Amino acid sequence: MQQETITVVIDPNGESSVDLEGFAGQGCDKVLKDFQGDDHAKVQRKKAAFYSSAVDSRNQHLKSGQ
Amino acid sequence: MPCIRGLQQQQQRREGRERSKEVSAYGEFTTVMSEERYLVEGLTAMGYRVEVHAEGAALVGYHGDERPETAHVIIRRAQLDSASNDVGFVRGKDGRYQAILSEYDRSIGYGNQWLGKVHQHYKESQTLAVAKSKGYIFRGKEVIQTANGPQIRLQFVAR
Repeated sequence: MQQETITVVIDPNGESSVDLEGFAGQGCDKVLKDFQGDDHAKVQRKKAAFYSSAVDSRNQHLKSGQ
Repeated sequence: MPCIRGLQQQQQRREGRERSKEVSAYGEFTTVMSEERYLVEGLTAMGYRVEVHAEGAALVGYHGDERPETAHVIIRRAQLDSASNDVGFVRGKDGRYQAILSEYDRSIGYGNQWLGKVHQHYKESQTLAVAKSKGYIFRGKEVIQTANGPQIRLQFVAR
């Protein structure tokens, strides 16, 4: 299982971004909230890795003719 | 052989389901300065000695005159330019700190870029403290030079 990592990037103007990798289920939202604190959210989204893994799985089946 | 193939298919389906349960997420935030502690820590990290006044105190102008504005966190003008006024941060009714900066001080380098830096240090201080209190493990800090100034990158792992 992939390690659960959190990367916080703080720009010179004080804006920040939080990037989560390897989390499962609802825990993801809680972690994002922990790092958001009182800050105003501009963008929040699930990353493509979540959706592409299901597509990859389907493609593997198609390629192998199964 | 069909039996092994069936097991392989089952295994692939299981792996696919497990991988799809792994969620990655991303968020962008505008820093809101609402805690005195992190503001003081941030300004201190920038090299200023700050005064904290729970009830607020008057700011002093460049002539040594007391100005009508009051602030809760103050950088006295002696630490700035010789013709500077005090710089203050006043806590609003919504709990957020707003900077009080004179036109002169804005024009000599204490403008939006400087305020961005204050927010950056505030956010770093807040992130490290909150992560520690919530049990995340700090893995390291990187400072990356960009065209707009240094960018701070902090990494943590979940316990």
